[in-house]
Amino acid sequence: MITRRQLLTRAGMGFGAVAASALLQAASDNPLAPRKPPGDAKAKAIIYLFMHGGVSHVDTWDPKPELTRLSGQTLPASFAQGLKTSRIDFTKAIIRGTPWKFSHHGRSGTEVSELFPHMAKHVDEFVLVRSCYGDAFDHAPAMYLRSTGSMVPGKPCLGSWSVYGLGSENQNLPAFVVMSDGAMKSGPQGYGAGYLPAVYQGTVFRAGATPILDLATPEGINAPAQRTTLDFIHQMDQRHLAARPGDDELEARIAAYELAYRMQSTAPEAVDISKESAATRKLYGIGEPATDDFGRKCLLARRMVERGVRFIQLYSGTHQGDDWDGAHSDLQGSHVKMAAKSDLPVHGLLTDLKSRGLLDSTLVVWSSEFGRTPLAEGRNGRDHHPYAFSMWMAGAGIQGGRVLGSTDEFGLRPASDPLDAHDVNATILRLMGLDHLKLTYLYQGRDQRLTDVHGDREFTKFLLRA
Amino acid sequence: MGLISLILVAAALAAAQQDTPAKAVAILQSQCAQCHSASARMSGLDLTSHAGLLQGGSRGPALGLLLKAVQRTDPRLAMPPTKALSTEDVATLSAWIDAGAKWPATTPAAAVQSSQWWSFKKPMRPAVPRSGSEWVRGPIDEFILAKLTANGLKPASAASLAALARRASYDLTGLPPNQALPDNWEKFVDSLLESPRYGERWGRHWLDLVRYSDTAGFEIDPYIPDAWRYRDYVIDSFNSDKPYDRFIREQLAGDEFFPEDPVANTGTGFFCVGPNLDLYPDQADVNRVQVLTDYVDTTAGVFLGLTAGCARCHDHKFDPIPQRDYFRLQAIFAPAVKVKVALSRLDSLGYEVQENVREIKLREYGDQIAAIQARCKKGGRPTDDEIRACLTLDETARLHALEKKLVAMFANYRPKPFACGVTDVGDFAPRTTIPNKGGAVVPPGFFSALGGGDIPEVQTFSRPTTGPIPLMPTTGRRHALASWLTNPDHPLTARVIVNRVWQYHFGRGIVATPSDFGMRGRAPSHPELLDWLATEFVAQGWSFKKLHRQILLSAAYRQSAGASAEAKVKDPENQLLSHFARRRLDADEIRDSVLSVTGALNLAMGGRPVVPPLSKEELFNMIGRADDSWVVTADARQHDRRGIYMIQKRTFRLPMMETFDAPESMATCPRRDSSTTAPQSLTLLNGPFAVARARAMAAELKGADPEVIAAAFNRILLRAPTPEERQSAAAFLERQSVNMNDRTAAVAELVRGLLNLNEFLYVD
Repeated sequence: MITRRQLLTRAGMGFGAVAASALLQAASDNPLAPRKPPGDAKAKAIIYLFMHGGVSHVDTWDPKPELTRLSGQTLPASFAQGLKTSRIDFTKAIIRGTPWKFSHHGRSGTEVSELFPHMAKHVDEFVLVRSCYGDAFDHAPAMYLRSTGSMVPGKPCLGSWSVYGLGSENQNLPAFVVMSDGAMKSGPQGYGAGYLPAVYQGTVFRAGATPILDLATPEGINAPAQRTTLDFIHQMDQRHLAARPGDDELEARIAAYELAYRMQSTAPEAVDISKESAATRKLYGIGEPATDDFGRKCLLARRMVERGVRFIQLYSGTHQGDDWDGAHSDLQGSHVKMAAKSDLPVHGLLTDLKSRGLLDSTLVVWSSEFGRTPLAEGRNGRDHHPYAFSMWMAGAGIQGGRVLGSTDEFGLRPASDPLDAHDVNATILRLMGLDHLKLTYLYQGRDQRLTDVHGDREFTKFLLRA
Repeated sequence: MGLISLILVAAALAAAQQDTPAKAVAILQSQCAQCHSASARMSGLDLTSHAGLLQGGSRGPALGLLLKAVQRTDPRLAMPPTKALSTEDVATLSAWIDAGAKWPATTPAAAVQSSQWWSFKKPMRPAVPRSGSEWVRGPIDEFILAKLTANGLKPASAASLAALARRASYDLTGLPPNQALPDNWEKFVDSLLESPRYGERWGRHWLDLVRYSDTAGFEIDPYIPDAWRYRDYVIDSFNSDKPYDRFIREQLAGDEFFPEDPVANTGTGFFCVGPNLDLYPDQADVNRVQVLTDYVDTTAGVFLGLTAGCARCHDHKFDPIPQRDYFRLQAIFAPAVKVKVALSRLDSLGYEVQENVREIKLREYGDQIAAIQARCKKGGRPTDDEIRACLTLDETARLHALEKKLVAMFANYRPKPFACGVTDVGDFAPRTTIPNKGGAVVPPGFFSALGGGDIPEVQTFSRPTTGPIPLMPTTGRRHALASWLTNPDHPLTARVIVNRVWQYHFGRGIVATPSDFGMRGRAPSHPELLDWLATEFVAQGWSFKKLHRQILLSAAYRQSAGASAEAKVKDPENQLLSHFARRRLDADEIRDSVLSVTGALNLAMGGRPVVPPLSKEELFNMIGRADDSWVVTADARQHDRRGIYMIQKRTFRLPMMETFDAPESMATCPRRDSSTTAPQSLTLLNGPFAVARARAMAAELKGADPEVIAAAFNRILLRAPTPEERQSAAAFLERQSVNMNDRTAAVAELVRGLLNLNEFLYVD
């Protein structure tokens, strides 16, 4: 709640012309005040499902019969050229076929493997992109690249840019909520505000009744005591302000204490799913050991959307324990387990959003930081593979049931429509009504963009079939 | 018309035609030559000579494009980039080109050298205005008053002594004052400057600038060995008022200037405390590029106040920094490699011997322990309990004896006598080339627009030594860089640093963009004052403390906070300094102050970073398992030391510090944000740190309500409560005693309340 003037005049920071005028049009001095999107917005909110650790594309969304046919052989030399990862040598490692069966789904007949039986029911709702690629082959840089457009951490992420561009519809909840199982390989910089003002930072929701750090009234202090102390602070601050009339920042801080107090009740209400029907809980797999955790997160994501939260980043998998990255040594074990945890809940989310009429104005993105090598790592694994992987996008007016792009016969590289993180991010911003070329922030002498100097293969038109 | 008239007209016409080339070239020189000179050659174009004009640049012949560029018909080619030429100038250029673009026989020599931009010209010491005003206490005030008067504004009244004491104490030490009402201002300022707390406060600013962190960042976020030695070096440097030119030399090239001085070598830790992937051998190539990029961007930002980063990929679009200049600067760092700096020759050798012995012993004892336990192995790895159950009494005794020996080995464990630093691989360097530009070698050098040329290749740059063995030779490239930067005539070095100091005192710099003195930066509000300060700083031996003194003794600094109604209209940003700008305490100040006023602050200095305890919720998003990555410092008194000594991980900031805008240390941070958010209120209200401090202080506050209230106000707000406040605080205690059924808990609530007040969190 920095004032508009301070925001605009803060040394070392200015705004791109568009963003500045958007801010000036805002009804108040609140940097999180909702702003009208400059363009035609298809999505009001985004749920970004980030499969943390690296999901194998050739075992899930991108069938490669050649892999199975040539399983056990080495790659033709021409294919191996220019590919490198930490652990395998593409000229020596053997091709590994997928242990899972693919079958056709929906009216579109899109092929999906048996790992995702539930998400497969939605192929007609989403556009599957099979030609994603990046150039970072370790988790953290690859995650930064997907989220912030840079392999080096410290840049603002997509969520921060969205909130910077559009503000928030709900002033009593954070505008940008992050839900994870805890420590991730990217650390907090994967959802950081970078050089944008700190108000645009993602807020981590923890499990339990008080999702925000320090939200709960401290132990040993009851509700009347808390209110009495807040009243004392308010009274003293008002007196202090009276001697310093017209100081917006002091006023803003007084308001921030009131907001903090309101959040103490609004945030627990937002995460309280006790009033959700049994059918709804079942839809998300809540109550079942495998799906309970991710199911709750997906359900919370829907509740956040209903309450006007702009951006919800949801991670599946952690740095330790259950992780898609277990595929290094145990492809089957890791993928069966992680798919079992997340497949049904995502199905529940899409179904629920649709039945409540929210899917039309909500963009749901499913992605990973990279795919996994079509070649074997060790006896039962696959290494990281940034050179080609799959993602999908649904909702927000997207005309589903189609596939964008393809990979070569081994799933090594895009064969058509190669799309990198910038192209995807430019597209997501556009669906929010933001132009990635115009959403800028002056930092270090330069109008910085989420997409840097890239993003010219934006594919919004394809998604909307416009 | 008579003959005479005709002759006159003809002569005038000829003169006008002759004039056009001179005028046109003058326009080129004043408006274009900054970037399109023989040395800068942005886009390969040199507009300072006829040959250059005819030759053109990378976009083709210049003549065809020149008019298009200045007429700005194509937005992709609109020049000059920041400001259109006047229609008159465009007409002159057009006429000149139509007439064949003749070059005048003589060109004004002065204009050929580029550097039209104010900050690229050497600061000239201006005359100090003389107002005769009683308000004025020194030269600074004359400059400030002159601008205020010219804009119809008056300085604010002087602040109260109490407000001033608090302001100065926070500015210089980051802590509330020991004395609420100093009796002599000058002596008070001096005492603050002499306090070791000064180096901690100003060291913090410097560490922000040089993106200091104890860890390297990325997925594993490993520790940077001995990074904290550099942190302590910075604090010591400020405390000893190390001249800034020496400070620069030590950090950029301590190994070349003072090779035998371990302190100076520790300064080169500047190159080690940035983000890196040093421990990812499979990414050595990526890492080298990223680290060199970090060196150039950080050096240019910190010392030159320039945003060189733009020129990494292309010629800078606004400042006269061609891409080649970026790589010339990068070439300076190309031979630099990280080394362990031995802090004392003898200790370091001793340490290596000791480590060697320790390792042998460790292996030996390890084998012995394994041998004893081997008997208990049945299949998998036995648990501790299983081992205990299986051992005989004798075996247990032998195990305990070994354990004792093991512990004894580490009994006198001290930090190792090394710092992190750099030196050159030798007197040769890897080639530096511009990527995708043909592979021509770029020699090391400085920005051409600043008059820097190539660094002459010194065949063998020999490092001065007093010992019998010659030191490993280096290239001398960083030595040359530091020498160039610390030349008293350098246009930017002194200006940039005095502006930073000014900003940390007044909340905004004379140039409001402290790390951008280029064309996209803000123009200085008081250019003469900036130059006066810069030249004075150099004349006073680059002394920070003298500069602080100069500022703190000024009347400008002693103004009260809060804008007058008139100032709000005429100067809403307070560029002219008609009053003092109220500011929020920063993250470190808040944490340190809470510790200080509640009586817990431990003022021990230096040493390995302290890991304070955090709750599970607070550690939630940290990379790695807490028992590996967050090993809490055993000695609890250490947890209450100043924030600068707390561990600074690149991927994980202390949650409370993060909430209050502590920087991320991925890149140089010239100015911290000062946001106002609800999570800040939550952390100070409900967070475990604030609550624990409030309770601890409450337990110490003894006596009846009036005494307790007075003591709490005095310690936290540094003043006595007013009668009205005394009354409402008493009523508060009474109500909270009922609410919580416990008077000490009620007092803790009073303390918690006071710690959350704007009066506590803001400096007037």
